[in-house]
Amino acid sequence: MECGNSVSRIAATAVLLTLLAAGMQALADEQLVLIVSAGSTIAQLDSLEVRKLFLGLTVTQDGNRLRPVLNETDARVKEIFLQNIVSMSDITYDRSLLRLTLIQGQRQPTAYRDIALLLQAVAADPNAVSYVWAKDVAHDSRIRILRVLWYD
Amino acid sequence: MPHLSVRIPLLCVALSLLCANPALGQHDHSAGEFEVFVAAEAFHGSGHAPRDDADPWIDADVVLGVTEHKLRVFGEFFAAPGESDLERFQVGFEFVPETVLWLGRFHQPASAWNTEHHHGQYLQTDITRPYIERWEDEQGIIPQHITGALLESRQSVGGDGAIQLSGGIGAAPALTNLSMEPVSLIHSNPGRHGLSVTGRLAYLPEYVGASSVGLLFGHDDLDASYALALPALHSSHANLTVYGAYIDWTVGRWRVVGADYYVDVALDRTARHESFMSGYLQVERQMPRRLTVFSRLEDSARMQESRYVALFDHEDGNLEISLRRQALGVRWDYARRQAVTLELSHIVSLQQQSNQVRAQWSAAIP
Repeated sequence: MECGNSVSRIAATAVLLTLLAAGMQALADEQLVLIVSAGSTIAQLDSLEVRKLFLGLTVTQDGNRLRPVLNETDARVKEIFLQNIVSMSDITYDRSLLRLTLIQGQRQPTAYRDIALLLQAVAADPNAVSYVWAKDVAHDSRIRILRVLWYD
Repeated sequence: MPHLSVRIPLLCVALSLLCANPALGQHDHSAGEFEVFVAAEAFHGSGHAPRDDADPWIDADVVLGVTEHKLRVFGEFFAAPGESDLERFQVGFEFVPETVLWLGRFHQPASAWNTEHHHGQYLQTDITRPYIERWEDEQGIIPQHITGALLESRQSVGGDGAIQLSGGIGAAPALTNLSMEPVSLIHSNPGRHGLSVTGRLAYLPEYVGASSVGLLFGHDDLDASYALALPALHSSHANLTVYGAYIDWTVGRWRVVGADYYVDVALDRTARHESFMSGYLQVERQMPRRLTVFSRLEDSARMQESRYVALFDHEDGNLEISLRRQALGVRWDYARRQAVTLELSHIVSLQQQSNQVRAQWSAAIP
């Protein structure tokens, strides 16, 4: 009888852990994270610095100018970026980048539509900053997560 | 005076299709040092209405920007039928973030309109620009292109706000045969160029926002020793001092852009200075389906009495000095980086009154 109870407890724990792991995975799937290269010296960036960076203004750390990399690999990422990071509509964001180009000759951020190329570009540039789904970089040793920008 | 031609709509359709080609947006990544702003325009005016703003039927504005560490190089080349010029060419050094010292030819910072829109027609909601903000080659009466040094700085104040300071010093345009000739980097330079000192102090409620309100100042020593300018002015110099205030404010779907300038003109051999005022107020409202409606009122005082202003009034009727204007229009951003705009306006000039209608296609490439 006691042996049967132990088996039940072990089975229940195993089921619970499986569910928890699945839940964690699901949670990680719904996190948008700010990333830099694993070899980068970039420390934390607050919300205003992230907004400045992706609006084309100058943001530096240790004298190095940070380079924003836009993730256009899927529509959902773009939607979250516009709503939560730059707080602008698509057309307003595009016009504000164009405006800065016209006023100061600021170069527009590079945009990637292929996640592998985006990660490769960030990994290769110690001053690059981008944002991706957490699941896309969960096991990528070339990339360091700075912080969670958004989660569901 | 109609200015309509079958080539305009045909060209617009061709360019529009080219810009909207989905293949252009399917690269794995995109970025570039170049932006090209293009526009094509059709115009019709009542009576003997001249083309007023001298808008070419098609134009292209190519902007090049390179940033390498703290060094910046920036150029703007404008091309239209009968006109091409390197409008701006600046080499800058960014001492600290958002504080840049530029050397080269730049747009003077005391213009509320031109420092925002420059020659990029696509980023301007309406088609025409206020008369007081016109370029030198459009019978503009305030110098706009200066060659020298420009310092620009934006610094945080309070919580989210910022103060923006811009100051320029350099060579002003010369007064030649009834127009101003800025220093050209690629063409010849007739006339003598005096000193120009211009500046702007602005408050931005949001460091990263587009809204601002501020004060403007400019002083230009215009040398008028050239040919026809001297007898017309009865003076070998015109010292222009400009004081202004402006607002460019966006709240939700509304935007208000306004400026008022007081211009003092000191001439040789006259005991009293001339002075006149000119200002405008434009209101824009974003509507559903990417439509924007806009309206602008322009007014002036004592411009018709100024000998300096009369210097720019050509008798050939191709351009005219506007004293007042009411404009109304609608813009439709029908595709990414493409828009069509219709503008109706009533103009009271030194010579006459006229009604005008304009239609424009504008785009930014890529």
